[in-house]
Amino acid sequence: MSGLRLVDIVVAYNGAPVVDGISVQVPSTSWVSLIGPNGAGKTTLLRAIAGLVPFEGVIEIGQQPIAAMSRRRLSQVVAFLPQRPILPEGASVFNYVAIGRTPYIPYWGTETTEDRAVVEEVLHRLDLAEIADRQIASLSGGEAQRAVLARALAQQSDILLLDEPTAALDVGHQQQVLELIDELRLEQGLTIISALHDLTLAGQYADHLVLLDNGEVVSEGEPSAVLTEETIKRYYHASVRVVSQPDAGLSVIPIRPDRTVRGAGI
Amino acid sequence: MRRYCLLLALLLSAAACGGESTATTSTADAAATPVGETTTTEDSGFPVTVQAANGAVEVVERPTAIISLSPTSTEMLFAIGAGDQVIAVDEFSNYPDEAPTTDLSGYEPNVEAIAALNPDLVIVSDDLNDIVAALTAIQVPVIHHPAAGSLEDTYSQIEQLGVATGNLSAAASLVASMQSEIEGMVEAVGKVGEALTYYYELDATLFSVTSETFIGQVYALVGLENIADAAGGAESGYPQLSAEYIIDADPDLIFLADTKCCGETPDTVAARPAWDKLTAVANQMVIPLDDDVASRWGPRVVALLAEIVEAVLTLEGSTP
Amino acid sequence: MDLQPVTTRERHTAKVGVRLSIIVLLSVMISVLLGILVGAVGLSAGSVFAELANKVPGITVDSGLSTRDSAILWELRMPRVVLAGLVGGMLAMAGAAFQGVFRNPLADPYLLGVAAGAGLGATLAIAYLPDQTQWPVSPLPLAAFAGAVLGVVVTYVLGRSGARQFAASTLILAGVAVAAFLTATQTFIQQQNSDTFREVYSWILGALGTVGWGEVVLILPYVILSGGTLLLYRRLLDVMGVGDEEADSVGISSAGVRLAVVAAATLGTAAAVAVSGLIGFVGIIVPHAIRLVIGSSYRLILPVSLGFGAAFLIIADLIARSVLAPAEIPIGVVTAFFGAPFFLLVLSRSRRFS
Repeated sequence: MSGLRLVDIVVAYNGAPVVDGISVQVPSTSWVSLIGPNGAGKTTLLRAIAGLVPFEGVIEIGQQPIAAMSRRRLSQVVAFLPQRPILPEGASVFNYVAIGRTPYIPYWGTETTEDRAVVEEVLHRLDLAEIADRQIASLSGGEAQRAVLARALAQQSDILLLDEPTAALDVGHQQQVLELIDELRLEQGLTIISALHDLTLAGQYADHLVLLDNGEVVSEGEPSAVLTEETIKRYYHASVRVVSQPDAGLSVIPIRPDRTVRGAGI
Repeated sequence: MRRYCLLLALLLSAAACGGESTATTSTADAAATPVGETTTTEDSGFPVTVQAANGAVEVVERPTAIISLSPTSTEMLFAIGAGDQVIAVDEFSNYPDEAPTTDLSGYEPNVEAIAALNPDLVIVSDDLNDIVAALTAIQVPVIHHPAAGSLEDTYSQIEQLGVATGNLSAAASLVASMQSEIEGMVEAVGKVGEALTYYYELDATLFSVTSETFIGQVYALVGLENIADAAGGAESGYPQLSAEYIIDADPDLIFLADTKCCGETPDTVAARPAWDKLTAVANQMVIPLDDDVASRWGPRVVALLAEIVEAVLTLEGSTP
Repeated sequence: MDLQPVTTRERHTAKVGVRLSIIVLLSVMISVLLGILVGAVGLSAGSVFAELANKVPGITVDSGLSTRDSAILWELRMPRVVLAGLVGGMLAMAGAAFQGVFRNPLADPYLLGVAAGAGLGATLAIAYLPDQTQWPVSPLPLAAFAGAVLGVVVTYVLGRSGARQFAASTLILAGVAVAAFLTATQTFIQQQNSDTFREVYSWILGALGTVGWGEVVLILPYVILSGGTLLLYRRLLDVMGVGDEEADSVGISSAGVRLAVVAAATLGTAAAVAVSGLIGFVGIIVPHAIRLVIGSSYRLILPVSLGFGAAFLIIADLIARSVLAPAEIPIGVVTAFFGAPFFLLVLSRSRRFS
């Protein structure tokens, strides 16, 4: 059970800051989603938490600064799913998911029976046991995304960083994956930090939204507080209507104001 | 103005046309028997024409600025007394010592570098970079004497050089003495060589020669049998043998022609894996040759034959 | 949790492993046998086996071979076959390791300037160290080795620049630049010393024609060290398959793994090149062919490459010295002959899948 604390995080590429002083609190077992226009720094922030880019400032996990953790230790606490995961050619689903056990296997060692048991369990949970021996390249988009998720879960870390987990999926699979993640979160007490460009999905699944623009936090809070038409207009330069469905969460609907529709209006 | 230019042009063309038939008189040499494919317009005097590999070459007067790009031709020139007529030889012409070695290359001949020295006769053994055509174009007489295929070629090259440089009698007597020395050595060896086999090594990757080559024919003079003749690839004249083949053939004599280039010696040969089992190694019949002597076809071929004969006689002398 | 599927899978993996090992061992043994039976000098199979039996303590059999023929077998053919096996296995394994660490099935051990460096070292030795036989140890292998290692070191130093230090693409580019520069230097030196052309060229094409047990002893420690290290990194090569960033995110240092693997593979490759010249294609063909058959797990590919690489080069050497006997085709030419049809095969297979 680990919460995160980010204090004044700055990440610069070639001298230009991409993340410019971000402080966020992520309570344990919550789902925080980073939103913001392209280039706001969402992915970079996630990568900083995963220890993949150098940063200034302090990131603490359960009051432990990650700067003091070894790479191995960090990967036991944080699992990172990149936006475009690389699926090694010719790997079977099982072997691919087993890569998630790396933080627990001695450097030159091999998997133990326990490691393999963890992989089997994860495959089962994500409905991949039937296709465990198929080549990962032959999976459909939805199956592949579940396989990547399985690999992250095999790391048995409390914190999951998801960079656009639904980018390449159709609307059905989008919902499936996000529901699954939420189930797992509740089952296993995971803390989720996601970067989502789809504002509706972000609003429907995250407890807490953090809106980034130009590397800074410009708004944060509950989805209903952050997802307002003015805010979205201001930072996304987009015209939307935010609609609250009873028992169905918020929907952010892009509109085209100049178009007149004859007949029934909404 | 126009008429003046026309006149000038006419005069110039007349001069050009007239140039070729200028004959210079020179002291007539004692008439030697015309040899091989040389012809003289006057009795052994100049101008002379020799039939070299590049066709008929006319040498108008006795050359005093000869350039040789062929180490063998250099040796021949000095041996027939034309040494003081030579102004430059290529970088590899290292014999005799007094030969004026320069940077000129026989492998990448530079026609401008050659022309800058104002030669009146150039001798090459390889026509690389179209050097023959280039020199002919700038009207420098060039003789192409390629590697000899037999001793007859050697003699005829020596004689041609004698004619071309005005040292006919010296050339003739050199040839005669070479022939008689060789005859004498062959007689001394008699039938002894015919029972012996040899391996001739060109380099450490075991390239050898067959009896069809020039060097092979020299060995054949004393009756020695070449183990490379039976090897696959012998048609090229330069087959590559393998260690197994050589050890199996177990030649009586081994001649090393890679002593200077590659540092091979009887000791290094004996150190090769399994070579110590060879009879030639055991009998110390591994004969190091001077690379240069072994790769040229000039007057020193006699010295080469002498070494071969010495080896044969030693071997026969030590076996009852 | 029911461990049944886990243990079933483990048993299956073990069975596959055993089967593979048997096949690999058999291939090596058969190729060794063929290698020592075939040669310019015909030695009957019976006498060869008798000679082998003789070496077993307690058995004495008269093989009927003369001292010379026996010497041919033990001092020429045997070390040659052993060396071909060591070199082939090493190059194949190094090639597989490079393919894993650069995530590129067309990578080979010469990628980062090893070949160009070794070529330059050899050329320098041939051109400027005449009289090599006067040295206590032949300087040519040492120079080639030093050149190979130097080439990779320079590539790594250059690879420090660029957005991501020591990233795969940066290193490959640096390697290309280094190789081009070293090759140009080599050509220049050869031009200045035109009498070295033949010797350098024949060294580059690769040859095992004049080797004995000395060369085997020379390269053995490097092969053991390098090969042993690479085998230790097998699983990590599979992890590298997800790319540098994701590999870092599961707790390994991708740059560190790359450095260790490159260092180990280079050491072994440099030693192989030092004694046998630049034999090409082994490092690409063998691991790639293995991958087509047993899949992409480096855990299997690496040890199988060792075995099949050995068998492959032993057979290639056999062909090299038999086809035009007693002349020897440079072994690099034989492996190249295998290369062309192989790549066509890969091409046709990939077209089928895309």
